[in-house]
Amino acid sequence: MKKVIIVRVCEIFLKGKNRFYFVNLLESNIKKALIDVKFNIVKLQMRYLIEDFNENDYDLIISKLLKVSGIHTLSEALCVESDVDKIAEAAIKICDGKGGTFKVETNRADKTFPMHSVELSAEVGGRILETYPGKFSVDVKKPAFIVHVDIRENGETLVYSGVIKGVGGMPVGSSGKGFLMLSGGIDSPVAGYMMCKRGMKLAAVHFHSYPYTGEAAKEKVITLGKKLADYSSGMTLYVVKFTHIQEEIHQKCSEEFMITMMRRFMMRITERLAEIHGGQAIITGESLGQVASQTTESITSSNSVVKMPVFRPLIAFDKLETIEIANKIDTYETSILPYEDCCTVFLPKFPVIKPRMDKVLKEESKLDVEELVRSAMREVEVIEL
Amino acid sequence: MIYLDNAATTKPDEKVLAEAVEYYKENFWNPSALYAGGLAVKKRISEIRDEILKGFPSSFETVFVSCGSEADNLAIFSFAKRGNAVTTSGEHSAVYESFCELKKRGVEPRFAKLNADGSVNVNDLLSLVDEKTTFVSVVHVNNETGAVNDINAIADLVKKKNPSIIFHSDGVQAYGKIPYRLSDKIDAYSVSAHKIGGLKGVGVLFKKKNLVVTPIVFGGGQEGGKRSGTENVLGIIDFGYVAKKHNVALSENFEKAQKIKRILIDSLDSRFIRIISGENSSPYILSFSAVGLRGEVIMHMLEEFGIVVGTGSACSSRQRHSRVLKNCGYGADVLDGALRISFSSETTESDVTYAAEKINECVKKLKGVMDRNI
Repeated sequence: MKKVIIVRVCEIFLKGKNRFYFVNLLESNIKKALIDVKFNIVKLQMRYLIEDFNENDYDLIISKLLKVSGIHTLSEALCVESDVDKIAEAAIKICDGKGGTFKVETNRADKTFPMHSVELSAEVGGRILETYPGKFSVDVKKPAFIVHVDIRENGETLVYSGVIKGVGGMPVGSSGKGFLMLSGGIDSPVAGYMMCKRGMKLAAVHFHSYPYTGEAAKEKVITLGKKLADYSSGMTLYVVKFTHIQEEIHQKCSEEFMITMMRRFMMRITERLAEIHGGQAIITGESLGQVASQTTESITSSNSVVKMPVFRPLIAFDKLETIEIANKIDTYETSILPYEDCCTVFLPKFPVIKPRMDKVLKEESKLDVEELVRSAMREVEVIEL
Repeated sequence: MIYLDNAATTKPDEKVLAEAVEYYKENFWNPSALYAGGLAVKKRISEIRDEILKGFPSSFETVFVSCGSEADNLAIFSFAKRGNAVTTSGEHSAVYESFCELKKRGVEPRFAKLNADGSVNVNDLLSLVDEKTTFVSVVHVNNETGAVNDINAIADLVKKKNPSIIFHSDGVQAYGKIPYRLSDKIDAYSVSAHKIGGLKGVGVLFKKKNLVVTPIVFGGGQEGGKRSGTENVLGIIDFGYVAKKHNVALSENFEKAQKIKRILIDSLDSRFIRIISGENSSPYILSFSAVGLRGEVIMHMLEEFGIVVGTGSACSSRQRHSRVLKNCGYGADVLDGALRISFSSETTESDVTYAAEKINECVKKLKGVMDRNI
């Protein structure tokens, strides 16, 4: 009897002729996620089996797999020889520690197995009841838990109960590569995670304005980046020195346009990095109306400087909904660390909420936009996470 | 580099460290071992104990622990077991958080108000002390503002109200820096090695011999069973040397620090900078605020000139605003701009003159950025 993990995939099988591409991609992502662990992966119909791992690594493997998008559910299972006694023994072990009503469900792919599904379910159920007298009762309609018996064609049977929900979505890499503007706040990591879920590989861009933001703020972004990298099957973080641009805007442009101008520069630089490094889209954590720079007019202003599609998965999210996901992906506690972020220093008292494009362009004409962007591009720190 | 965050930690005294390392290389033995080497190390530690006890009342003994926080914890959880326990709102987080923990253990924590300079409001503290109070802890020198509490006088007043109280003080920013003699009203006192040029990993709880501590760490029964675990021999040897050095030169260093602090205060641009530390604060700590600006940004700007200052207690840097300064009654504009400069015996006049010049420069620049009307 050995412990294995059943990995079930989702959506992938809706993809018709591309199915093998998705399956292979997911398999390679799983292998990458488990690179530090000794294990073997077996491809089955609509699922994988992770086996031959050290049982001490079980929790680690599960935690890693729970960050691989394209995985629908996971189950811890016992794998035994297809023999009635051994199957029953595994089922009894699975029930240890449980209580209440149950039923046994058998799936007999191996048609040479001497008992029919219903017969085997009854036999196994009976033995469970015998082993734990008074602890369980059978309820085939609404059981508290189900013991699954899966008789495979290779002479082995999987016995398990219960499933752990995975990320879902599609394997990372199947939807191209997006450049996430990663600020260090609550929203952007969540936006990145959501795009990973839809199969997008991430790269992240952070705008660092030392001394207005310190090393601790950068370290915070790196920590967030590492957490996201687990979902993105690795990630490159580009840290752009932004101080001179902020100072230039601050000196030359009208104060209330400070943030509007900054956003336009950030979008331009992100797009340019994406163009150079194989990105096809920009991802931001913007949520409509959340702050002055996220009104429809402000978004129109920042969007108008780029040609690439800009994905804003949180656009209709309430803050609390975002926080819920941030907690789930364990970025919230890092995001709320109180290091100075550049926006608080340069924040104008009354930022323009609905910038008019003609005014925006007039303000921007005071700056040598191309030279500022180029100078930022010349000093980009690249961090592999 | 000009290092001005000595209240967070100090650069180890190189000469002393070299001597300690030399000793340690030859005497690496476990002090609990019964062969000659082990006994020799045990004896050496015992000599250091006697040496550092010289400035304390004869009723005191020492317990070597891993840091100042552990010394505070050991005192608090040993002596505050019933009724209520009183402390100040200006304590280091090692005391403050331990008092918060007391609540879960059935002891009511009470926090006395602060004066604007960070010293405890003694009347308020006394009003919190009653017949059910079992333990009082008052920081000797506030680690953020440098305010000095007259712990002998406070302990005297506290014990007049309730003689059965055990009185503890966190002396981490006082030991080896300011002159004092503890009265017999003080029962326990915490100290840390790395604040005076020693190594991280050594703290001492000085306590009256007749008080029984409840160990936090159990094991081989070191430190008379009060704190198990193999002694940090290198750290203790090093501490023995630095403590002696600091105590010998205490008056001289104190005067030097007073002078340096005065130079700094006089050089800072009073149009933009508000001094928080009071007149009678420790000469080793100066707390001030570039009101309305951002302390952290100024700190980074100074880093570019090779000047290292603090934004407040390093142990609390996860909080946006300093709890201690908030409890002194300051508003957000002062708290945002708060900085702490702290000296060591190594700090020179030219260090602070240069630092003051750059602080003024950075403050002015940031003021220009944050308020374009200047």
